[in-house]
Amino acid sequence: MGWKEAAEPVLARMPTVRRPEGHVPFKRKLMWTGAILVLYFFLTNISLLGLGQGGEDLFGEFRAILAGQQGSVLQVGIGPIVTASIVLQLLGGANLLGLDTDDPRDQVLYQGLQKLLVVLMTALTAAPMVLAGGGFLPTASQLTLGSLTLGPTGVKLIMFAQIFVGGILILYMDEVVSKWGVGSGVGLFIIAGVSQMLVGGFFAFERGAGFFYNWFLILTGDIQIDSLIGGNGLYQLLVSEGKIVALLTTLLIFLIVVYTESVRVEIPLSHSRVKGARGRFPVKLIYASVLPMILVRAVQANVQFMGQILNQQWSGMPAFLGTYTSGEPVSGFFYYTAPIYSPQDWMWWTGVTQETWQVLLRIGVDLTFMVVGGAIFAIFWVETTDMGPESTAKQIQNSGMQIPGFRQNVGVVEKVMERYIPQVTVIGGALVGLLAVWANMLGTIGGVSGTGLLLAVSITYKLYEEIAEEQMMEMHPMMRQMFGSE
Amino acid sequence: MDKGQNTGGLMSSAGLVRYFDSEDEKGIRIDPKTIIVFGLLLGVVVQVLSFIA
Repeated sequence: MGWKEAAEPVLARMPTVRRPEGHVPFKRKLMWTGAILVLYFFLTNISLLGLGQGGEDLFGEFRAILAGQQGSVLQVGIGPIVTASIVLQLLGGANLLGLDTDDPRDQVLYQGLQKLLVVLMTALTAAPMVLAGGGFLPTASQLTLGSLTLGPTGVKLIMFAQIFVGGILILYMDEVVSKWGVGSGVGLFIIAGVSQMLVGGFFAFERGAGFFYNWFLILTGDIQIDSLIGGNGLYQLLVSEGKIVALLTTLLIFLIVVYTESVRVEIPLSHSRVKGARGRFPVKLIYASVLPMILVRAVQANVQFMGQILNQQWSGMPAFLGTYTSGEPVSGFFYYTAPIYSPQDWMWWTGVTQETWQVLLRIGVDLTFMVVGGAIFAIFWVETTDMGPESTAKQIQNSGMQIPGFRQNVGVVEKVMERYIPQVTVIGGALVGLLAVWANMLGTIGGVSGTGLLLAVSITYKLYEEIAEEQMMEMHPMMRQMFGSE
Repeated sequence: MDKGQNTGGLMSSAGLVRYFDSEDEKGIRIDPKTIIVFGLLLGVVVQVLSFIA
């Protein structure tokens, strides 16, 4: 066992946020969560020192799920955490790490490795953003701080330092919420970003951006609608100006997610010693939750970043890789691998510049990627978060429960779990992938993207469940002992 | 029911980053207040420096 011993001195000493001793009252938990949320919004409003004019967001359409804010101290958002998580999922899913997460020693190593990877990824994400300069994060040509004058290199260094510190801070803010607050920081930041965009999408007083304002303009005649029969009227009302389809999609996604959260296979359990104590183990349809989806999208996002950076740095980029007009790929490899963001990307009868077959190919690639990728990452997720048949069988056995009609034996419970968990995981993962692409194709209010919406709704639902459980424990202190959180 | 495992078990799907109960005694501990104060300071310092520049 080579790498564990070698890496242990470093990994075990990674700074961690102190754990609370004993029970944290629910009000205190809310306070910590609120404080981190306020800090998050505060920091997204702090512009980077040394930032020049203009610049396009390198994260582009992925900003909704990667949180943070272009040009602010929180430039990288949760991007590095997501990328580090992909690496860990792949390593752990393929069982290359050799870490047993039941062993306390290995748990410490896992946490350390996780943190080290995030730090590494923060540097790797921040560096190209600053160094590629120009189009993404324009730097001021010089910076005067009192008697100190910094040249272009100095400014770049200072910007890198700020983004890097901001990225690490996000990691620790997540840790504070996870240990002292409700839910997780990553979830909180995603909800915060998506909700902000949703509210903006409904109420913005800007032509074309706000749903209600657009309708006000349509009704007062400021936005001209063509004839419904011969002209573009229907398209304008439903998609481009009226956004009726986007409104319906947004509402539908809400309903579908809340409904599917309750779709489950329930495996009956009974206590081996206490007669009459019964329970059920739910295998939910979205068993692996929607979080693995963020990993699939992040893989796509990373391919697109590469395209953006290549396009800027390499003037002789061959056309089969991609040609760009105003920062968007319009043909080549990077066009076909770009996800569909909005109806305008594929409704070829409305003046999309590409050929129909090109659009169809792009939809096909996106759909395949999301459905297959969703299923694969869901499987990895289940394995690495101890939700697989083996781990759940162990947990059921340890809690003294058994499946009525079967022998009380870990192997037997595992066999029963194996009949449900893998199938449900794959179906659930593929379904979520399909939903995300479908929502993007029809558009969403505020351009939050299908994945963003799916994530926000399911995280909110989880949060609601957790809050309900917290309140139950507050009211019945006995429950705390039973759940072992005292 | 007894305690089962204390690794977060079924609730562990909450976030992308996983935290376990076991921690190394040698590791550095940070108070959550320190994180918040540091974040506020970072914001204020960057903002003030931007005004000066």
